[in-house]
Amino acid sequence: MTLDWSIVWESRYALAEGAKLTVMLTVITMLIAIPAGIVLAVMRLSKSRVLSTSSMCFVEFFRNLPLLLVVYWAFYVMPVFMGIEFSAFTTGLVALSLNVSAYNSETFRAGINSIRKGQTEAAIALGMSRGEAMRKIVIPQAWRRVLPVLASTWVSLFKDTSLVSVIAVGELAHVAMQIRSQTFRVLEMLTAMAVIYWLMGYPQAKLVDWIRKKYEVKE
Amino acid sequence: MELDFSPLLDSWGYLLGGLGITVLLAVLTVLCSIVLGMALSIGRIYGSAWLRIPIVFYIDTQRAIPVFVVLVWIYFAVPILTGWNFHPFWAALVALTLNASAYAAEIVRAGIESIRPGQVRAGLALGMSRAQIVRQVLLPQALVRMLPSFGSLLTHTIKDTAIAAVIAVPELMKRAETVVGQSYRPIEVFTTIMFVYFIILYPGSRLIERLYQRVAHLGRS
Amino acid sequence: MSADDPMLTSHQRRGADLPPVVVYEEVRKLFGDFVALDGVSIQVNQGEVMCLIGPSGSGKSTLLRCTNALEVVSSGRVIFEGKPLPSNETEARKIRQRMGMVFQNFELFPHKSTLDNVAIGPITVLGMKEGDARARAMKLLDKVGLTDKAGSFPSSLSGGQQQRVAIARALAMEPDVMLFDEPTSALDPETIGEVLNVMKQLAEEGMTMIVVTHEMTFARRVANWVVVFDHGKVVEQGPPEQIFDAPTCDRTRDFLGHLGWNG
Repeated sequence: MTLDWSIVWESRYALAEGAKLTVMLTVITMLIAIPAGIVLAVMRLSKSRVLSTSSMCFVEFFRNLPLLLVVYWAFYVMPVFMGIEFSAFTTGLVALSLNVSAYNSETFRAGINSIRKGQTEAAIALGMSRGEAMRKIVIPQAWRRVLPVLASTWVSLFKDTSLVSVIAVGELAHVAMQIRSQTFRVLEMLTAMAVIYWLMGYPQAKLVDWIRKKYEVKE
Repeated sequence: MELDFSPLLDSWGYLLGGLGITVLLAVLTVLCSIVLGMALSIGRIYGSAWLRIPIVFYIDTQRAIPVFVVLVWIYFAVPILTGWNFHPFWAALVALTLNASAYAAEIVRAGIESIRPGQVRAGLALGMSRAQIVRQVLLPQALVRMLPSFGSLLTHTIKDTAIAAVIAVPELMKRAETVVGQSYRPIEVFTTIMFVYFIILYPGSRLIERLYQRVAHLGRS
Repeated sequence: MSADDPMLTSHQRRGADLPPVVVYEEVRKLFGDFVALDGVSIQVNQGEVMCLIGPSGSGKSTLLRCTNALEVVSSGRVIFEGKPLPSNETEARKIRQRMGMVFQNFELFPHKSTLDNVAIGPITVLGMKEGDARARAMKLLDKVGLTDKAGSFPSSLSGGQQQRVAIARALAMEPDVMLFDEPTSALDPETIGEVLNVMKQLAEEGMTMIVVTHEMTFARRVANWVVVFDHGKVVEQGPPEQIFDAPTCDRTRDFLGHLGWNG
């Protein structure tokens, strides 16, 4: 067995491009999935049966599916229904957003539910409007519960972006797998891929622990 | 657009076999990770620094790296290093277990640490040793408390098994791809498979919750 | 002899003619900067029921935990049956087997039936055969009046029943001394009596008992010796008649007064 680690250095620009796309996918997905999650949570908690049931169906459906299947499904089915071809990147983004929005919705719902009804009533009794009570009392308290969960979801999402490599989105995993099959430097490239993911993911995992500790709610 | 579900009808036995492999892989993974996770967490809580530091490093590493990466590394890189070749199923079992055991370790740790110190004191006051207390007092209660978390570990793992399709483990996801490749009916096949996964996973989580409600009192000290 | 004879009280202290079971010598216990016990010297005689009373946080429970080495003293000594408590864990375990402890929150093991809660000590610690241990456990459940609950789990018992099981669990080790850490503080008022009755019965059988309690009536009627704690120090000790009827110390009077005790 001869190893040639120079391939890793030679591929540094391609790998960096891939890592950049991984980060972009993570950030953009989250930017979509936070507002989407809030909308879904508010729908779920609304008095309208139609809104709350449709939100529940969406959330439960996408929470209970393997992400890889959602990726394939978006890849094959979306173009047929929409009648237009999407780029691999957009397709991957849609699949990730469907998945993460569902998770975020549950996070926000739990956050809102965690605030005792008395808090809203107390705020209204002080003369606040319902909107003000929500903005000034409910949301700041719920935030403490929501943020740690969002942070864990963020790390999961970061890792899950590797799955859109199966539809040839040029993120880190795809780039590394491509170079692997072109150069046959399998061990070197796969190890490099693992190390790069580790370098990016490890600080994030630690940050999540820190946030969780800081915001831990003592009952 | 016309839908044609006949490829599914033609290969339902093949797909059902795939579902069997999915469930088998997930259940084996969870069982192995519970055992490994228990060992890791006990080492982490009661071990010396020499044991604790590498365990924490291992757990955090598994939390930082995608399962996909672990999976392809085990399947493609390990044979180059060692000369062993294994069936994709075993590679998937090893990779998924390596990953899930880190989560299982965190679940077990949280479970043990959630039991109030008075229980340890009661064991000590009877003259029990630390090891006896862990085995006879803490773990049995913690296991009950962990049941819901192990339930979500199982559903999470069932979802992760789909990734094993990448290394051609003939589980449900892979077989669905194969059927799509032969029939070119991706919409019908993938949509149906989606519902199959949903039908397994959704009631699965409810069932575990129900079971937990029945035994919860055994863990409530 | 008349009851007024000042010599009598000291002579009458139960077990005075036998070697003491537990002796505390200048025991200090610090938690960081906080002084939990500040030089406590008392002794517990054979067959004696000693009640430790005093305000919350005055060090009574800490002293109890120092007795069976659940806490290690910062300085001073605890002497059990003539020997200082060992500092190593294996030796300490042997000492704990000879002391029974009952906790404020019962601390029954929720995953075991009532019978198995009582049998677990003899089985795991003494290595007794399961059948023998269960037979012993059944006898003890009978003693605390709970044979009909042998198969139940702790979650289905009332607080008073749980505490009686906890007493049986401690007795199953056939201890030389029983330590009670506020055994009735977590109970509903209507179940306190059943636990106190079991304790009273134990006292009548001659069990040596150290009881941290806020139940002044129990201390008055059952104790042979009462020790009053405040801020980690013993402020007064003596037979219950002295403590409750003629306290010599203002702090004792204050404490009893706050509890609404008026003799």
